Amino acid sequence: MAENYKEYLAAKVLTDGRPVTYRLLSRALKTNVNVAKSMLYDFYTKQNAKKPKSVHATYILVGRKREAEQTHGANGSHKNGEDSFMHSSPFMSSLPEPEAEPVDEEAAQKTTMVLVREEELEATKAEFEEITSTHIYSLEPGPIENLNVLSVCNQEIATKYSSGDPLERWKHYGSIHNPYIKRRTAKFAPPPAAAASASKAPAKPTAAMSAKEKEKAGLERRGSVSDANTLGRSTPQPTSASNTIKKSDSKPSLKRDKSDIFKSFAKSKPKAKEAEKSKESTPAPAADEPMQAMSEDEGEDDTPVVQVDQEQQEAARRKRQERQDKLRKMMDEPEDEEMPDAPSEEENDSQDAAIDKIPVPKPTQSESALTSQGGRRRGRRKVMKKKTVKDEEGYLVTKEEAVWESFSEDEPEPKKPKPTPKPMSAAKGKNGGKKAQGSIANFFKKA
Amino acid sequence: MASADTSLLRGAPFDDPAYLPSRIPSAYNPLHTFELPKGAEKHYHQQYADLYFLRLAQLKKAVKQRAEEAWGDFTLGDEKARMVDRVLDVRQGELCWVVGTVYMELGLKPNILDDIAKEHWIAAPPLRETYTSQSGHDGMMLEDESGRLRVFGESLSSTSVTGCVLAALGTEQSDGTFQVIATQYADLPRQPQRWERDDSELAMQKQNPPKRERSGKIAIVSGLDMTGADDDDLSLGLLVEYLTGELGGPPDQSKASRLSRLIIAGNSLSHASPILSRDDFNAKKAGKRHYGYDASSYDPAPTERLDQFLADILPTIPITLLPGETDPANVALPQQQLHPALFSQSRQYANPPAQSNESREGLDSVTNPWEGDIEGYRVLGTGGQTVTDLLKYVEDVNVLDVMEMMLRWRCVAPTAPDTLWCYPFQDDDPMLVKDCPHIYFAGNQKKFAKRVIVGPADQQVLLVSVPKFSETRCVVLVDMETMGVEVVKIALMQPKS
Repeated sequence: MAENYKEYLAAKVLTDGRPVTYRLLSRALKTNVNVAKSMLYDFYTKQNAKKPKSVHATYILVGRKREAEQTHGANGSHKNGEDSFMHSSPFMSSLPEPEAEPVDEEAAQKTTMVLVREEELEATKAEFEEITSTHIYSLEPGPIENLNVLSVCNQEIATKYSSGDPLERWKHYGSIHNPYIKRRTAKFAPPPAAAASASKAPAKPTAAMSAKEKEKAGLERRGSVSDANTLGRSTPQPTSASNTIKKSDSKPSLKRDKSDIFKSFAKSKPKAKEAEKSKESTPAPAADEPMQAMSEDEGEDDTPVVQVDQEQQEAARRKRQERQDKLRKMMDEPEDEEMPDAPSEEENDSQDAAIDKIPVPKPTQSESALTSQGGRRRGRRKVMKKKTVKDEEGYLVTKEEAVWESFSEDEPEPKKPKPTPKPMSAAKGKNGGKKAQGSIANFFKKA
Repeated sequence: MASADTSLLRGAPFDDPAYLPSRIPSAYNPLHTFELPKGAEKHYHQQYADLYFLRLAQLKKAVKQRAEEAWGDFTLGDEKARMVDRVLDVRQGELCWVVGTVYMELGLKPNILDDIAKEHWIAAPPLRETYTSQSGHDGMMLEDESGRLRVFGESLSSTSVTGCVLAALGTEQSDGTFQVIATQYADLPRQPQRWERDDSELAMQKQNPPKRERSGKIAIVSGLDMTGADDDDLSLGLLVEYLTGELGGPPDQSKASRLSRLIIAGNSLSHASPILSRDDFNAKKAGKRHYGYDASSYDPAPTERLDQFLADILPTIPITLLPGETDPANVALPQQQLHPALFSQSRQYANPPAQSNESREGLDSVTNPWEGDIEGYRVLGTGGQTVTDLLKYVEDVNVLDVMEMMLRWRCVAPTAPDTLWCYPFQDDDPMLVKDCPHIYFAGNQKKFAKRVIVGPADQQVLLVSVPKFSETRCVVLVDMETMGVEVVKIALMQPKS
């Protein structure tokens, strides 16, 4: 037990003339707060026995105030002591609860903690009905005018004694120990990226799909506008990702300039091939396939036959080839030759791959409430949606309706999703480029 | 000297003090009802009309059911009351009832058009004590998607405000107004059982509910209003000492260890709202103009003080922190969590945001309004703006009445898009009360009050109005076993000057 409290207090209070609270004392001496409170009392009595009025004290009173005094106190005049109490009590009792909700308020038990100087101690005590504890809060060399000066002690604690593990404080100072609190020690640890990436994944496939779909629509529309676009049309497969990449890259350049076209081909082809390769080489994930299949809504590819025989494929390819040839002739551009070929092949391959692997249960899948496939859970759920419609009389009616909504969410999944993000971003970039391009083409046409 | 506590008014030798009992655990399971979508998912271009339509659509069924129970065979003379689907279908002279959203036309209600006309649109509208005017221009209307119906009547409770959904029974008069005989509201929704959510979560994991010990109390404080000035330091210091169990003698210290959680219900900082009040704005405009970084425009002291305050308490008691009107959160309801960057020290007691959006032990920075399960009971709390704003619509009504009506209307912020800033919800309005809470508190009120209200299915709800600490120095304790409420007041007996 620290016996040097006398020196500390003497130095601080008597010599420096500064206030010392029990809390500051306990921090300075690394002792329990309750011991510190007793030390203050010990020092206070002994010093004042030696030399009266040499040390001044403030006290803490904890307890229950008398009811009448309590309401009176709440009205403002707190410190008038017994005098005002005498006045107020008959006054209060004569008026039966002028307050609006006295019942609500009185039902609660009220504990008051008062910080008071020794001069007002006795008067304040008289206001209490029951005092559950009293102790010295602080010692200072003489009477203080404003209690707020005591806050310097807490500031001193914050600046001088804040080192050390805060979770160990209770051992030294006897505050309440909370065994459940945890504290991070790593101050600026980088946040784990896993959570963020995981949450993002499910959004991607749908985005990709919609982008593709939009693109398709855009293609069709534009095709009728300008014949330059027929090139785009020439690739009859609107769906496969590698295909779309090509289209986007090549088309804009075509329109602009011929020399450009070569450049763009040189660039775009490897890219497309790469994309393709990655698709083919990695045994195309089951999880992916349904995605692609679902986005295909052209009749051609719709038949979800598991085993498409070679003949059929061949026929399809030939048909496509023919169409492309026709288109090429129309375009009458020799440079084009490479273009339609390359994409068509790639596209066919990827297309076939997709067809091959379409799982038989695919159609039913969307029906079922929940299926788990290749690590991705997809299904439909019922959600309440607000719907505002105009009824036959022309009024707006807002209704809550149960709607089936399809969803898919990722389960911990390995490499699979790789191919999907690629087409997505590609499609996106293309989309933007194409739109701008289209308008420019139109501009030139008119001009 | 008092007899009970001689132990601390006693000199050497000093005994080894017994350690205080450890803090009792806090069973805490927050809900994330009021969290807005993050980042790009958050849109502000929607119309607010949808919010009213949605509210009506979601509450219509409940209100209709209540009205049918009450007026199903109501007859006046020999005319039977009939339900009418739309407010515009009300026919003159016919006894009928209709469900709609209340709209209050009040003389002093802020009007954006007025404000623009006065070119005062940069700052927040001036604070008003009340929206009701004495000139008699105030009126009440009932609206739905089809139109509005002007209503009046003796029986209209004076507590109706814009945004609450009511069923009104009456007849249309010759001047086209609807005279109301009686009204009905949705009343309290279903109240979950104690521990219902925790138990079902455990059941999902195939675990049996643990044996639970007697719960402790929660402490609710609001309106700390830190300014960074020294004036309020001492009472805040005393509050810290009380919560950490340092203040007082062993009996009081042991009582403090029964507190299992501190809830700070808004307005922890006093001048930190990102949108200046009109006074602040004018004061700022009058001041000198600076270019570049202006040290006087940002004062870190209050934030640091709050951080220090939290960090002092957190080692011993977990905290749930709601933002309030004057806090540096978004101003539109629901206010989102105070950013952890504000709390350089105390955020170490919270889970990193990337890892988890809640911290069951330690500092949990939550939304305003907020709901969650504490000790198995559903607790719903706000920083008090909703109540304060609603009080401006009505006269002679106290805080508890307002809180009670909010629950009975099943809407925590009925006035929200009208006179309170609010996020334009489209498909779901979290402000509607779907589960009846057991405890409903509102922070930053003028004084403490509490009441227990009872619902039609015996739901019991404890309403607590939590006063501002900066004005009353009061902390409210709620016993989570008995629902008893206590107040702890910190007083400084300043010497007479």
